[in-house]
Amino acid sequence: MSTAPPLLEMRSITKTFPGVKALSDVQLTVRDGEIHAICGENGAGKSTLMKVLSGVYPYGSYDGSIIYRGNEAKFSDIRASEQAGIVIIHQELALVPGMSITENIFLGNEPRRFGRIDWKAANSKALELMSMVGLKEDPDTLIKDIGVGKQQLVEIAKAFAKDVQLLILDEPTAALNENDSQHLLDLLRGFRKRGITSIMISHKLNEIEAIADSITILRDGKTIETIDVKGEGADEDRIVRGMVGRDLGSRFPDHEPNIGEVFFEVRNWTVRHPISADRLVCKNSSFTVRRGEIVGFAGLMGAGRTELAMSLFGRSYGVYESGQIFKDGKEIQLKTVSDAIANGLAYVSEDRKAVGLNLLDDIKTSVVAAKLSKITHNGVLDEAAEYREAEAYRKSLRIKTPTVDEGVTKLSGGNQQKVVLAKWMFTDPDLLILDEPTRGIDVGAKYEIYGIIQELASEGRGVVVISSELPELIGLCDRIYTVFEGAITGEIMRRDADPETLMKQMTSTKKLATS
Amino acid sequence: MSRIKELQKNLFGGTTSNARQFGMIFTLVAIILFFQFKTGGLTLQSGNLIALTQQYAYISVLSIGMLMVIVAGHIDLSVGSVAAFVGIVVAKTVTEHNLPWPLGVVLGLVVGALIGAWQGFWVAYVGIPAFIVTLAGMLLFRGGNQYIGNADTVPVPKGFTEIGAGYLPEVGPDTGYNNLTLLLGLLACVAVVWRELRARQVRTQMQGAEPAPMWIAVLRMVVMIAVIVFVTLRFAGGRVGTSFPISGIILAVLVLVYSFYTRNTAGGRHIYAVGGNARAAELSGVKLRRVNFFVMMNMSVLAALAGMIFVARSAASGPQDGLSWELDAIAAVFIGGAAVSGGLGTVGGSIVGGLVMAVLNNGLQLTGTGSDMVQIIKGLFLLGAVALDVYNKKQGRFSIIGSLTRSNRSRHEAADSASTESNVVKQPAARS
Amino acid sequence: MRRNFLIKSVAVGAAVALALTGCSNDREGGSGDSGSGSGDAKGFAKDALIGVALPSKTSENWVLAGDLFTNGLKTAGFQSDVQYAGASTTVADQQAQITAMVTKGAKVIVIGATDAAQLTTQVDAAHAAGAKVIAYDRLIKNTANVDYYIAFDNFKVGQLQGQALLDGMKAKKPTGPWTIELFSGSPDDNNAGVFFDGAMDVLKPAIDKGDVIVGSGQKDVKQTAIQGWKAEGAQSRMDSLLNSTYTSGKTLDGVLSPNDTLARAIITSVKAAGKPIPVVTGQDSEVESVKSIMAGEQYSTINKDTRNLVSETIKMVQSLQTGAAPQTNNDTYNNGAKVVPAYLLNPVIVTKANAAEAYANDPKLSALTK
Repeated sequence: MSTAPPLLEMRSITKTFPGVKALSDVQLTVRDGEIHAICGENGAGKSTLMKVLSGVYPYGSYDGSIIYRGNEAKFSDIRASEQAGIVIIHQELALVPGMSITENIFLGNEPRRFGRIDWKAANSKALELMSMVGLKEDPDTLIKDIGVGKQQLVEIAKAFAKDVQLLILDEPTAALNENDSQHLLDLLRGFRKRGITSIMISHKLNEIEAIADSITILRDGKTIETIDVKGEGADEDRIVRGMVGRDLGSRFPDHEPNIGEVFFEVRNWTVRHPISADRLVCKNSSFTVRRGEIVGFAGLMGAGRTELAMSLFGRSYGVYESGQIFKDGKEIQLKTVSDAIANGLAYVSEDRKAVGLNLLDDIKTSVVAAKLSKITHNGVLDEAAEYREAEAYRKSLRIKTPTVDEGVTKLSGGNQQKVVLAKWMFTDPDLLILDEPTRGIDVGAKYEIYGIIQELASEGRGVVVISSELPELIGLCDRIYTVFEGAITGEIMRRDADPETLMKQMTSTKKLATS
Repeated sequence: MSRIKELQKNLFGGTTSNARQFGMIFTLVAIILFFQFKTGGLTLQSGNLIALTQQYAYISVLSIGMLMVIVAGHIDLSVGSVAAFVGIVVAKTVTEHNLPWPLGVVLGLVVGALIGAWQGFWVAYVGIPAFIVTLAGMLLFRGGNQYIGNADTVPVPKGFTEIGAGYLPEVGPDTGYNNLTLLLGLLACVAVVWRELRARQVRTQMQGAEPAPMWIAVLRMVVMIAVIVFVTLRFAGGRVGTSFPISGIILAVLVLVYSFYTRNTAGGRHIYAVGGNARAAELSGVKLRRVNFFVMMNMSVLAALAGMIFVARSAASGPQDGLSWELDAIAAVFIGGAAVSGGLGTVGGSIVGGLVMAVLNNGLQLTGTGSDMVQIIKGLFLLGAVALDVYNKKQGRFSIIGSLTRSNRSRHEAADSASTESNVVKQPAARS
Repeated sequence: MRRNFLIKSVAVGAAVALALTGCSNDREGGSGDSGSGSGDAKGFAKDALIGVALPSKTSENWVLAGDLFTNGLKTAGFQSDVQYAGASTTVADQQAQITAMVTKGAKVIVIGATDAAQLTTQVDAAHAAGAKVIAYDRLIKNTANVDYYIAFDNFKVGQLQGQALLDGMKAKKPTGPWTIELFSGSPDDNNAGVFFDGAMDVLKPAIDKGDVIVGSGQKDVKQTAIQGWKAEGAQSRMDSLLNSTYTSGKTLDGVLSPNDTLARAIITSVKAAGKPIPVVTGQDSEVESVKSIMAGEQYSTINKDTRNLVSETIKMVQSLQTGAAPQTNNDTYNNGAKVVPAYLLNPVIVTKANAAEAYANDPKLSALTK
């Protein structure tokens, strides 16, 4: 196997931006027909490397050479690399929502007859491509009407329409649920059988372990090592050590829970879908949170966890149908977000860029945004107080930035997440709901975020963590509720929690006995 | 290098999109000097400065409101029609129904508020895009103006004309200057010094934040005071009977009030939050509808005021009032650094943007350029100003000034690059 | 120490600003000037600046007038600044242009107003700065500071149009009654009402007698007005008149149109409806209308020779330059603040019969009449 000539060799790639050396002397060797994983923390240079390969950064704008199929490749743009059979699928999908699957598959590459688009040919070819990727949909379905997982498949079908030989996937499962992820991984295995080579960039170590033939680890723009999984075996600790440059010891900080009495309770919470009124997104859900407790919500994507959280948070989602909220034994009405904030609730959204932050803001403005009243006197802002507060969070949360005057877009994902946490800590909440608090964040920053969550709990606040990563919930939470199709299907204490039990309850309405 | 950066930051009090404003100030000075030279000194003559103030006061009043509308992520196309509608209503009631003119002004503001409430209702509570609502309003109130006015020109009484064409009166001893204008200038100087000292005080209260170096504070004060003294003497030393125009005073008060509101109050910050990311603002407890309603309503009130100032200046309300004012106001806001997508821009910037257009227009007229060429030049200028900015962002620089003062430690750079439309290539970032 | 430095610097700045301003205070002797009324016999320099502010370039006449002013004033030895208002921001533009002329020190400002009632502030300012204001073609209202008015006799224009309409219809159909429709100009143009009144001065007796019938019954100036003198306005009004009144075999004998642009729009509308072209009046001697008259479509136009009007205006400027009072021939024009001394020129009616004679000294139009 290892004697076969490599399909691709990137030699001593160095790429500099004004002031930053993004890649320095990077080596990457991909064998024909393998699945090659590239791991690294955010900012390690993974995407930059792939942009060099796909011609986004054209030949001449970097140092080093790319040997593809034995010849030096000098791609001037994406088109050139696509002609050579290299297709990259980005994390942000490049599909047009208002167009059909067929139209998207052939966008910019339409089959023509006498200058006119031959839709008949396009549709039959599309069906063929769709069956290759295991997508069962009407090719006339609009992209916006299918889920993210299927959209991803359309992207791959689109790549096949271009006669792909080397498929590059940038974090393909980041937005997918477990089922869709599994399907995608199976698909990649199928491709491997047919001799198609794939490069996969991923954060998810379990997936890498499951699928990769070789793993190249990048850190700070340098190649750390390439692991041949067949020969050496993939060792999670080794990968993590390579990525972060140190032993993490534990992936979760030590934490001694100090749990008090129940102070927050939701009873029979029922919410309708905002558009289709006959659909219930939350069905008769009841749960409790104790002081100092970290409560997890496990569920597949679309199970209704986010919907439950947002509908509680000032009815920000759906149409309220029935149910009660009690805090400290008294029923409270949370009809608007301001009501929720005033009653000590905080909701950190799963999508910090789309709904968590105003990306035009600087750090200090973001930190105080949810409770301006704390720094205003008669409606007038106290800029000095704003600065002081933000500065205090910068220090206590170790937000990596020279000053709090910096724009939030300049921060890495982990530091942005810290700013969002600071924003909600600033409101001094009793109950924090954190929706996917570590999504898209690298390992080192995750560890810090866990520490902050535990710190919040030990201050006597209740914390609700919604997450798709079961190890995260098991490692972090004192108690976990499982959610399936809008209903709470189980409640499991930390000591009883293991991925199998959780997964069973996350995929069935039947309540298992809790111990 | 960082000295220039500090200077630009402090000139505008450290708000968003300074870079373009800073560039605009330079452009403004350059244009003034160019025309001062071209017209043999006419540009900075008392009479011309006074006329310039009167001619653009009403557009600037509009651009204040428009700035807030655009920052909130909307647009208002109806301002010209609203101004014309209010103008004819006020002129008719004051002239034909003998309403005392001060009550007429109040009536005008009330009518403006009602129109604003109407448009705000559709935008904020029904959720129809402001572009559509105000396009409808544009037709609606233009038609209303013709319906009520029968396309006649209706004159207004002498007292009313003061708000558009009046001046500070002559009082006190004969100093060779208008005394009240001198007093106003003195007040402005005191305010500049006070503000400077106060800003330093606030800055020192922030731990870790360094106050601007002393030399900058002094330089800034010297420049500002020199400008104020110069301008004051110009306005005070015009032909007897003229001085600082009343419409200029109205504008100055509005600029101060709205600058303060947008920058230093929670309500103002909510407007930026809504424009920057409406959903994030909503989930932070900002009452989205209330903010949208307010900016639309406020715009119409200011449009009403602008309409009355124009009617006062023209001494009559006519059927052509308000034609394409919305375009002037919108142009001023964008030249002044606001982003089409909302969330960015300042009142000060919009005023400077308006002033640039005003001086350009005035200078071209003084040099005898025909209105056809004036329109062509203004159009190209608008395009050029914004295009240069976009181009600079694409290059990873955020403005000419930014390239001179390379330092990657500014929030404004980030803010500016975020404001760039989505089709603009993002600054290459070293992320993977 | 620091504070001291600060105060010193501020003082220096203030001093610099004072120096910049220098002694250029406009107040000296300013107040004496402002009273200089019409009795001032001093005149002004022979090469003084004369400002001409005209409406936007919507009709040939204004374009021609602008060219004539530029050349005529130059020949007379003056400096000229001829400006047109912008197409969309007419009033505000004209206000700014007049103010700029005042700033530049124009001694006489000739104004063809876009809106005759919205220029008082600027005219007052011009007067205060010692400039004379001549209202050209349109009388500026509500200010005592308009010095002269020069125009064609617009009431006479209306009378001639009314008479031409009657004559034309009689020539086509010797006996009445004749059915007509009335059009008038833009309601914000002071002259539009005058034309209409002049025409009605002739038509009213005939209407009262029953010889002439207004088919639609729309006789009021408000009903007949065309906003902004816009051709499309006239065309759409004519379309609706034809559809509402002339569908059942009723014939339209004549249309009173206040100018050529509207006349042609009316004819276009009638043609589109497939009806015979009635007798249509006009005004301004526009090229297309002269062609139309020669082709037998439009019946008449008015020759208000812009050359004469401009040259008379320049004569007026010349007498003001020497300090003499310009010649006037009418003192009935009251603008709401005073009676403005006026010089009125006589218009000439032109039909196919006398076109060659009327345009004999106009190179462009005379070519069309051959």
